[in-house]
Amino acid sequence: MAMHGMRGLSIFISDIRNCQNKEQERLRVDKELGNIRNRFKKEKGLTPYDKKKYVWKMLYIYMLGYDVDFGHMEAVSLISAPKYPEKQVGYIVTSCLLNENHDFLRLAINTVCNDIIGQNETFQCLALTLVGNIGGREFAESLAPDVQKLLLSSSCRPLVRKKAALCLLRLFRKNPDVVNVDGWADRMTQLLDERDLGVLTSSMSLLVALVSNNHEAYWTCLPKCVKILERLARNQDVPQEYTYYGIPSPWLQVKTMRALQYFPTIEDPNTRRTLFEVLQWILMGTDVVKNVNKNNASHAVLFEALALVMHLDAEKEMMSQCVALLGKFIAVREPNIRYLGLENMTRMLIVADVQESIKRHQAQIITSLKDPDISICRRALDLLYGMCDITNAKDIVEELLQYLNSADFTMHEELSLKAAILAEKFAPDLSWYVDVILQLIEKAGDFISDDIWFHVVQFVTNNDDLQPYAAAKAKEYLDKPAVDEKMVKVCAYILGEYSHLLARRPGCSPKEIFSIIHEKLPSVSTTTIPLLLSAYAKILMHTQPPDQVLQNQIWTIFTKYESCIDAEIQQRAVEYFALSRKGAAVMDILAEMPKFPERQSSLIKKAEDAEADTAEQSALKLRAQQQPSNALVVTDQHPSNGEPLPVFVGQLSVVKAPNMNNTEDHSSTEQVLSQENGNLSQVDQQPPSADPLSDLLGPLAIEGPPGATVQYENSAVSGLESGPDVVDGSAIVPVEVGTNTIQPIGNIAVRFHALCLKDSGVLYEDPYIQIGIKAEWRAHQGRLVLFLGNKNTSPLVSVQALILPPAHLKMELSLVPDTIPPRAQVQCPLEVVNLRPSRDVAVLDFSYKFGTHMVNIKLRLPAVLNKFLQPLPVSAEEFFPQWRSLSGPPLKLQEVVRGVRPMALPEMANLLHSYRIAISPGLDPNPNNLVASTTFYSENTRAIVCLVRIETDPADRTQLRMTLASGDPTLTFELKEFIKEQLVSIPTVAQAPTPAPPAAPPTPQIPPNDPAALLTDLL
Amino acid sequence: MPVAASAIYFLNLRGDVLINRLYRDDVGGNMVDAFRMHIMQTKELGTCPVRQIGGCSFFYMRISNVYIVIVVSSNANVACAFKFVVEAVALFKSYFGGAFDEDAIRNNFVLIYELLDEIMDFGYPQNLSPEILKLYITQEGVRSPFSSKPSDKPVPNATLQVTGAVGWRREGLVYKKNEVFLDIVESVNLLMSSKGSVLRCDVTGKILMKCFLSGMPDLKLGLNDKIGLEKESQLKSRPPKSGKTIELDDVTFHQCVNLTRFNSEKTVSFVPPDGEFELMKYRITEGVNLPFRVLPTIKELGRTRMEVNVKVKSVFGAKMFALGVVIKIPVPKQTAKTSFQVTSGRAKYQAAIDCLVWKIRKFPGQTEPTLSAEVELISTMAEKKSWTRPPIQMEFQVPMFTASGLRVRFLKVWEKSGYNTVEWVRYITKAGSYEIRC
Repeated sequence: MAMHGMRGLSIFISDIRNCQNKEQERLRVDKELGNIRNRFKKEKGLTPYDKKKYVWKMLYIYMLGYDVDFGHMEAVSLISAPKYPEKQVGYIVTSCLLNENHDFLRLAINTVCNDIIGQNETFQCLALTLVGNIGGREFAESLAPDVQKLLLSSSCRPLVRKKAALCLLRLFRKNPDVVNVDGWADRMTQLLDERDLGVLTSSMSLLVALVSNNHEAYWTCLPKCVKILERLARNQDVPQEYTYYGIPSPWLQVKTMRALQYFPTIEDPNTRRTLFEVLQWILMGTDVVKNVNKNNASHAVLFEALALVMHLDAEKEMMSQCVALLGKFIAVREPNIRYLGLENMTRMLIVADVQESIKRHQAQIITSLKDPDISICRRALDLLYGMCDITNAKDIVEELLQYLNSADFTMHEELSLKAAILAEKFAPDLSWYVDVILQLIEKAGDFISDDIWFHVVQFVTNNDDLQPYAAAKAKEYLDKPAVDEKMVKVCAYILGEYSHLLARRPGCSPKEIFSIIHEKLPSVSTTTIPLLLSAYAKILMHTQPPDQVLQNQIWTIFTKYESCIDAEIQQRAVEYFALSRKGAAVMDILAEMPKFPERQSSLIKKAEDAEADTAEQSALKLRAQQQPSNALVVTDQHPSNGEPLPVFVGQLSVVKAPNMNNTEDHSSTEQVLSQENGNLSQVDQQPPSADPLSDLLGPLAIEGPPGATVQYENSAVSGLESGPDVVDGSAIVPVEVGTNTIQPIGNIAVRFHALCLKDSGVLYEDPYIQIGIKAEWRAHQGRLVLFLGNKNTSPLVSVQALILPPAHLKMELSLVPDTIPPRAQVQCPLEVVNLRPSRDVAVLDFSYKFGTHMVNIKLRLPAVLNKFLQPLPVSAEEFFPQWRSLSGPPLKLQEVVRGVRPMALPEMANLLHSYRIAISPGLDPNPNNLVASTTFYSENTRAIVCLVRIETDPADRTQLRMTLASGDPTLTFELKEFIKEQLVSIPTVAQAPTPAPPAAPPTPQIPPNDPAALLTDLL
Repeated sequence: MPVAASAIYFLNLRGDVLINRLYRDDVGGNMVDAFRMHIMQTKELGTCPVRQIGGCSFFYMRISNVYIVIVVSSNANVACAFKFVVEAVALFKSYFGGAFDEDAIRNNFVLIYELLDEIMDFGYPQNLSPEILKLYITQEGVRSPFSSKPSDKPVPNATLQVTGAVGWRREGLVYKKNEVFLDIVESVNLLMSSKGSVLRCDVTGKILMKCFLSGMPDLKLGLNDKIGLEKESQLKSRPPKSGKTIELDDVTFHQCVNLTRFNSEKTVSFVPPDGEFELMKYRITEGVNLPFRVLPTIKELGRTRMEVNVKVKSVFGAKMFALGVVIKIPVPKQTAKTSFQVTSGRAKYQAAIDCLVWKIRKFPGQTEPTLSAEVELISTMAEKKSWTRPPIQMEFQVPMFTASGLRVRFLKVWEKSGYNTVEWVRYITKAGSYEIRC
């Protein structure tokens, strides 16, 4: 061994080991570092032996976790030493201390290259290992062909070829564009004929990487893979050293099956049959044994086989065989195996037909749910959740409820959420649903989110025949001595609304109901008191003929809270008190709540958040994303897509404060909206199809940065509520379609919208080019300058820019050079003249070529209507005569806009102001209204004054009435539509510009809130 | 009296618990693991003596190779807790005969448990005076074989003494030779800028006494401090003597000092406890006589070389001398080679603390030795990191010198039997944190 005789090193190591504590160790290390520095400084006296010794010490110190920021030079220089011990330490220390971007590595490239080309096998191995560990771009550029040659060379020993394959794998993973793999399919096929299992394992790793990149080119490898698998499974010709606990090279088996999963399907019936035989063999041959290592190996093979079976969409018989096998696993006592069984069963749920066979194991799964090991519980819960359908929902939910009593505290949240979702999804009848939720609230009130009880209220409100039952139940629960606060809330609400339906039952007189509710008042928090007050008011109203005693009691409470410090409570008390004195008029105001509109559930999103994303899952997801046109993806598995589930949106504020007319609740509404509407983006999702053309649309369907998701969903809601408007709005927006496969940096639509508001910024950016824009606007004319910046060190060629102006704009683009030199910026001025009002947008058709990539992008130019506006503040004397003189359509148009993104008045004023429409405050006597004016310039019309009036409804911010007047009918119409678009959509977010082509993008953007869709994608 | 501790732990440097005692059950027994994980095994050790982890506060202190950790979960009195630790250590030392370290703890488990029971109850500190505790915790500590065997004394009534007027002194002490030793020990803290201007300077001093006096003597101490002198001149109605007067801040006295008499007559009078004790502590911030001036010039010549020149000037009397002078001159971490020239003492480079260490064993007053060194640096990967230039640190001891200028004017002993006493007075000045920026 090379360590022989290095006394200094072993003394140092034993010194370190003898250190009593960290401090001593640090002192010793610092001393040694000083010594090494001293030695390295006197270059002359350093023998190769000394150098080697000190570099070893450096490595040891580095491994202990100390910073070593010198001596890299010495380490690198050792690489070129002629003797093995020095070379070895040079290679080892270099690959430990340096990373691929390090400058010092350049010094070594030449030596490493020589070692790889050279004849010495040991040196070849060392060099290949180094490159395989820290090889960067430069290594890839200069070494890839040599490494490829080594891999294929027949004169090399397997040891070298093995390392060459792994080295190539690293280079390919890091820089797929540098390593030329064209025509490698044949060579890979050839490589797979290799008899040596070591080389084969390494080559298989390489194949997995290659296939994941482009499976079509490698289909010739498929039969070979099957053959290898067959050879291994039947244990033919497997040397002893590759047999691990009696299993022939489990690593190779797993890798081969993983590679097979990248091929969409197997067409050749012979191969397919052989493969299924092999899989059958694996399934049959695996069992649980005593030896842990053997179990690990054989189970790894088995689970990969299961994944492959699922992927291949095998016959039903095979599937149920898999399930039966897993059933055996979950019956085992050993927790690891049970965990794996449950997890894989959950994964199998995605395959359509197995549900029935899984159901056979329900009892066993429920036993696992009660396991003391929490991770097993979680898996069992996931599985139960996944396998639940209308037939077994009742059993499962009841089981979950029962388990809630004994469950680990950390499980409560997930458990109650899942039970709630299942109850909601699969309720056979509504009274059962109400029962379940009330039980849930009773048992795990802390973990029940508000959404859940909102939903109960909504159900009860919408179903007349449910109301008496719910009220009776509510009373029953409220009668219990210790009640959770959420329970108080829901029961008080239900009793307030519907207790009069029970009036004739014994013990349900208004007075008794009141006293039951009132008993809880001292123990609840301030957020619940308003609800109780509402309930009192309702009870009082429903009591006919009025009961004097009750009335006095309730009035005393109202008067008591009239001076409450909490504004909400105080307001309610004052208002209810005043209202209840009005007598008959109260009936109208405090009448029963109207039915809620049907909406989709929000719970599922929450369940999704709660679900832990294990590493395994994310790996699966990754793989799923890597196979974009996987025709096998099952598309009929959207359990929650089909049935629209009602949800409690927006109206929440109404429930809480039926008669509040300030803007206080605005924020909560918005919050609720953004919470609730998550799953609505499902609407955008179309069934995936294998249409290769739609690949082109793929990259453009990307959504904004993660931060914008909520907003995006938010806009999806408002989009849904005002469906036709949005379609109308987006139809005239040209779509960005390109033949590029290059991912733009940032969201194009977001950038466009930002530029609509300001005059300079970045319009488009990708790894090669950045297009900036700077604009000046004067009346109806504008001057834009496009800045085309080449971000790379090589020139961009065939640059073309074409303007497709809409009819109302006259645009002249000056000459765009054909080539943009490296790291240079080109300016192209663009003259714009506005002829007449229109909302159409000009499109820039831009294309360039980088290397072999032809990139074509179509970009909307921010020469939009509002750029030709000039804010014009007016006084009352100027405004009213003009407003009156323009009367009636087409000069004056009025429209009620619904589905407006809720925003406060100042916010809306800001928005208008940013579109260059000046607000004239104080003109309208009603503070909820906005009056604004602006001047529009165009060549045909010259300056025209436009007047705008927006009336908002403080109770419902999602709708408003807008009146527009100007001297030109087209302008009035266009401006009205323009403002409407801005109010309805969120200007900073892409407005889903896809014009709904029949084929949707093959990788449907996974909405992060639909488990079904996610699971489908996982496969 | 506020709570001072819920539990006390003694740990060695590796973090193993040597002894622990839980006084209240509001902290878990495993809290010390948190201390080990979050304090001892991180870089934070030594940065802040009070840390809060998981609802508990940890106060810790290192004494030789032992960490003493106090854990509390309530709002405890930190100063009281630290004072308790200091006093307890003094107590243990007096029982073990001087040394307090890991070995001493291991050798005296039983005794320590007994003492821990006695000195704190339910988190409230109790009597920590060794004289009294030794009356009833008579178990002998394992002493080093060289310490003298204590004479057999009659066991007097401990209760009487604790509750008596003079709780800190036994009656009926008899010595053949009546002696008093008085030491004034000062430590100078200094931070000086590179240009020689004083940024921060103060002296903390204490007066230590050792009494071997018979009976119940009454002692009176006179210093050249301002209050005492003024009072005296008023009483004797004559102008104060010329000479320096010292203004003492933050004076604290041992419990034996009669405070009413101090307040009325401004004299320090007391009945001393037997043996060693700390009579008073004080601090002065003005008019400090610095014993040393340091004039450094450190030049960085390019990336790989440095030139260090340091001149140290002693400014105390030529007849006095300083002992154990150590000057630590920091150098960058990447120092590789050093060469020195010194006019006195010895210098070397210590990589473990990244300093050039210059030691002068005996340093006479009114001299100025110099050091000049050439330092070669090695080039490193971290290019941008510039050196932060930490301050030069200095250690020394100057006997018979007080940085404050404090002098004992008189020390009178009065006892009703009227015996003669011998008084011994010593002065010494040490370096606290004596730092000079360079």
